[in-house]
Formats: sequence, structure tokens, C-alpha cells
Amino acid sequence: MDAYLMGLAAGIAAGVIIVAIVKLRAVKLMSVAEKAEYLSKRRARMLPALAVIFLSQQAAFLSTLGSREQTSAYAAKVSAWLVLSIVILAALATKGFWLEPKAVRDLIDDENTRANRNDAMRWGFLFSMAAAIAVYALTLFNVQMSARDAVHIVLTIGIPAALIRWGVLERRAYRDA
Amino acid sequence: MSGARTGMPERLASRLKERRTELGLTQAELAERVGVTRKTVNTVENGVFTPSATLAIKLAQALGLSVEQLFWIER
Repeated sequence: MDAYLMGLAAGIAAGVIIVAIVKLRAVKLMSVAEKAEYLSKRRARMLPALAVIFLSQQAAFLSTLGSREQTSAYAAKVSAWLVLSIVILAALATKGFWLEPKAVRDLIDDENTRANRNDAMRWGFLFSMAAAIAVYALTLFNVQMSARDAVHIVLTIGIPAALIRWGVLERRAYRDA
Repeated sequence: MSGARTGMPERLASRLKERRTELGLTQAELAERVGVTRKTVNTVENGVFTPSATLAIKLAQALGLSVEQLFWIER
């Protein structure tokens, strides 16, 4: 099987396993409000951790930056990273918690959460644009970079910026509770 | 906003916590009444988050006050 497909499959499989673990561990017999509170607090803790995981995956990319030698293992890692990027972006752009009941999802995405999420998206956009400008400026100084490398760098900066900002705002919101 | 025109800082103050405590409600109970999470009630109480008009009205109704009695602009 093609290494890129293997990477995609590995990324999707990892996602399915994570969802299965989360569902199995989900605390039962909770009211909608209690469950929303539980999940919201867990999200506040998870967001910075997710940013770290996302950034740590960049080792595969950074180790081959500038070199044309790309092994099958590298292709698989990059594909898995692409899946994670798409999942995180989808979580940032939507209410997330796709497998939870609608009532819980609506409550988790209440007014304050939407404001925090919008602010995080704004940060993600600004950091992405700053990264894009920096990459563009580098090419003016004859730094060789493929379009894929450039996009990778922009995503590497933009997505964690949004995750960290959202995490900070969510944790701040729970302070003095 | 007049604050923006005059350059004076403005913030939305409230007696949300005071009134909630008077009624013997927890943040979670108030949050459930108005259909938000406890986090949102907490941020409004702490002045971290400025609620929308809709949420301000819901909070005032849940606490038996008018919006003007519950919230005011502090300069």
C-alpha cells in the first residue's frame, strides 16, 4: 500500500481508537448540564496538550526540511499529521464533540465558548498570515522551499496558535469559579 | 459608545453574584435556568465576559430583576 495511504489510514485509526476510549470512559447517568460541564472542563485541559502533540509531530517534517529525500516512513507520518490537522480544524470551526447528543453539544457551545472560539480563530488566522508573510519574505532571500513546505509551515504555526489561545481563554473562564 | 468617544474606560458591572447568593442559587443552578454552562455565569460574574443582550435579559429574568437593576456601566 502507498505510504501516504498508510499514513492516512493510521491517522484515521488513531482517531477511531481515541473516540472509542473516550466513549468507554464517558461518565454515565449525568444530566445534560453536568455532562456539558464535565466535557467543557476536559476540553480546557486538553487544548494546550493537543497543541503540544500537534507541534511534536513536526519533528518528522523539520528533520527533512530542505532535503529532497523523503522516505515512506516520512510520507506516512506527514499523512497522519494531515488527518490530525483536518480533525483539529473541524473541531475549531464547529462545536466539536460530534458524538455527543445535540443538547450537550449546544450547551457546550454556549455564548462564552463561542466568543472564546472566535477569538482563538482570529489568533490562528493572524499567526497563519504572519507565517505566510515570513515564508514569502524568506523566498525573496533565495531560500528554496516547495509549496508543500510553505503550507506545512503556515499550518504548523496557525493551528497551535488557535489551540493555545482557546485553551488559555477557557482556563481563564473557569478561574475563580 | 460614549466611553469610546471620550476616551474614558467603561466596563459592565453587575450585582449578579450578590443577587444569586441572595436567592441561594449556585452558579450551576443559575446556568441551568438560563441555558448556559457554569463557566459563562462565572465569567459574567467576574466581569471577564460581557454577555449579549439576550443573555443579560435571561439572567435578569432568572434573578427576578430588570436588566438595568442587574447590570450597569461603570466608568
